[in-house]
Amino acid sequence: MTDLHAGGVGLWTPGFADLAAFAAGVPGPAGSAPRAELLPAALRRRATPLAQMVAAAAAQAAAQAGADLATVPMVFGSALGEIGLAVSMLGEFRQGEGLPSPTRFHNAVHNGPAAYVSIATGNHGFATALAAGPETTAAALLEVAALLAERGGEAILALADEPAPAPFAPARPFPPLAVAIHLSARGGPRTRAVLRGPRREAGPPPDLPSPYADHPCAGGLALARAIWAGAAGPVHLGPAGERGWVVELSRGGAP
Amino acid sequence: MQPTRRAEIPVLAFSAANALGTDADRILDALRAGRTGLAPCPLEIPFPTACGMLPGALDPLPARLRAWDTRLCRVALLSLEGVRPALLAAVRRHGPERVALVVGTSTGGILETEAAFLAWAESGRIPAEYDFDRQHALHGLLEVLRAVTGASGPAWIVSTACSSSGKVFATGRRLLLAGLADAVLVGGVDTLCQTTLRGFGCLQALSPSPCRPFNAQRDGTSIGEGGAFALLAREGEGPVRLLGVGESCDAHHMSHPHPEGLGARLAMEEALARAGLPAAEVDHVNAHGTGTPANDLPEARAISAVLGDLVPVASTKGYTGHLLGAAGATEAVLAALSIVHGFVPRSLGAEPVDPGVKIAVCRATAARPVRTVLSNSFAFGGSNVSLLLGAA
Repeated sequence: MTDLHAGGVGLWTPGFADLAAFAAGVPGPAGSAPRAELLPAALRRRATPLAQMVAAAAAQAAAQAGADLATVPMVFGSALGEIGLAVSMLGEFRQGEGLPSPTRFHNAVHNGPAAYVSIATGNHGFATALAAGPETTAAALLEVAALLAERGGEAILALADEPAPAPFAPARPFPPLAVAIHLSARGGPRTRAVLRGPRREAGPPPDLPSPYADHPCAGGLALARAIWAGAAGPVHLGPAGERGWVVELSRGGAP
Repeated sequence: MQPTRRAEIPVLAFSAANALGTDADRILDALRAGRTGLAPCPLEIPFPTACGMLPGALDPLPARLRAWDTRLCRVALLSLEGVRPALLAAVRRHGPERVALVVGTSTGGILETEAAFLAWAESGRIPAEYDFDRQHALHGLLEVLRAVTGASGPAWIVSTACSSSGKVFATGRRLLLAGLADAVLVGGVDTLCQTTLRGFGCLQALSPSPCRPFNAQRDGTSIGEGGAFALLAREGEGPVRLLGVGESCDAHHMSHPHPEGLGARLAMEEALARAGLPAAEVDHVNAHGTGTPANDLPEARAISAVLGDLVPVASTKGYTGHLLGAAGATEAVLAALSIVHGFVPRSLGAEPVDPGVKIAVCRATAARPVRTVLSNSFAFGGSNVSLLLGAA
C-alpha cells in the first residue's frame, strides 16, 4: 500500500479548540464552540454542530498543510453521523402535522458535514461519507489510501461523532469530537509524519484518556495526537482485540 | 479531473429485490412488461403517496443473528441471494480477508429505531428486543453480511444519501485497482420508514400517485425499498463489466440540485474519462430521474451537454420508486439487465414528456443491442455519481 504523508491535523472537542490545546491537556474558553469560520455566516446558521466541528477541524488541518479545501477531496467517517437530529425528528413526528422541518431533514444525511464544507468552499470534486462502527477510522484511511492510489494528490480525512441523545444515550458517555488529517500521496516540506497501513493487527484499544477511550473516533484521535506529537511507531486505531487495526508512523521532514 | 489508467472491472454476478420482484428474473419480467411496482403507501403517514414496497413477508435472520434482526438486514439477505454462490466461491478462492464488503444505505435500521422511540414515548421503556448498536448503527448491516458470507476483508458502509450505492462501485473499483482486495461485494439496501417518507413529504417532494419522471405534469417522486448487490473482482468473467465511475459535488445547496446540472455533468464526464470511452459509445442512460419538478430538467440538460440528445434515456423510478440509499446499486442491476438481455425500458409515466426536456426519453420498451449504459445517482448535499457499465 502507498505511504500516506500527513501534512496537518485539526481537532475540536468541548474545551479544546485544536490539537495544541488538547495535547497540553488544559481545557479553555476557546474550546467552548467550534470556530467554523470556513462556513459563511448564512451557511453556519443552518449547519449542525457536527458539521461545524468538522469544518473547524478540516480548516486547521488544511491550513497547516497549506492546502486549499476548494480542491482537496474529503473522506468523512462517522459511526453514527447526525444521530442527534435523527432522534429529534422522531419527536417531531408526534407533534403538529407530524412532519420535520425541511432544514433538519436534509441536514440529517450522513454526508451533511462533508457537503457543508463542499458548499462553503465551492469544491466540485470528490467527497464521500462512510461508517464502520469501531472500525470507522481504519475504513476512512483505507478509502483515502485507495483514492490517492487511484488519482494521486491529497485528501482531507475527517472523523466526527456525537453521542446519541435520550433514550438511546450510550452506557459509557463520550463527548462530541471531530478530528481531521491532511494526507498526500507524496511527501513535501510540510510533511509532519508518514503513515504506513492501516493493517489488521490484534491489539489494545487506542491509548487515550477515559472520556475518549470509548469514542467511535478514538482511533482517529490517537492518530492525530501522535502526528501532532511527532511520535514514531505503531498507533493502534482500535477496536481492541482480533478485529484491531494499526498504522505505522514515522517522522516526516517538518518539525 | 486528473488522468488515470484505464481499467475495466469484471462484474461476476448481480442480484436485486424490490417492489418489482424478489429476484432478477421477476424484476426483468416487470421491466419488459412496463409494469409498475408502485402502489398506495401502507405506512401510517399524514398524507397520501405511492411507494414501492417489497412484496410478501421477509424471512427473519438466522437465530444466531437475532440481535441484529431488522427489516434492512432481512431485505439485504433476500437481495443478496443471487450473488451468494459467486461470493462464497470468491471467499474460498481468495481467502476471507481478501474479500471486501462496501455497501450503501441511507436509512440503515432507523425503521426499528422509530418503533423503539414510539414505545419509549408511550411507555417510558425501550422494547427489550431493540438494540441500538446492532440495529440502528449502520455497521450492524456489516456484521450480518460478514457473518453470512464469511468475508473478513475491509468493510464499510457508504452513506451519502441517494448516491450511496452508486459510490460503492467507485470504492470497490479503487480497492481492486489498489490491490487492497481481490473481490468486493458492493451493493445497497434501504427500507421504507417514517423518517424518509415524512422528510420528503415536508419538502413537498412526494407525488400522491406513482411518480412520472420527465413528464410535463410530474409532481414529485415515490419512495421505494429494496436491495441490490454486485460482485466485483480483479479477474474473471461475468455478465457485464464496470467500465468507469465518476463522482462529484454540486457545491450548491443541501437539497436543491445545481440548476444547470453542473455536478451531474462532471460525474458523467469523469465516468467516461476513466473508461476511456467517447460519449458516442453510450447506448442508453438510466437517469436519476426522480420525477420531482426540481431534478429532471437540470439532469436532462446535463445529459444533453455530455451525450447529446439522441441517446435513449429512461428513469426506472416509475417502476421501483426511488430507493434512496439503494438506488445506485438497484439501477446498476437494471442497467446490467438491459445489457445482458438487449433492451431499453420504457421510461414509465413519462408521457406527455416535458417540452423543456430535449433528450430522447424512451417512450416504449425497445429490443436493441445495448453495449454500454450510463447510470446516474444524485443526492442531498450535492453528491453525484455516474456509473458506466458495459457488455462483457
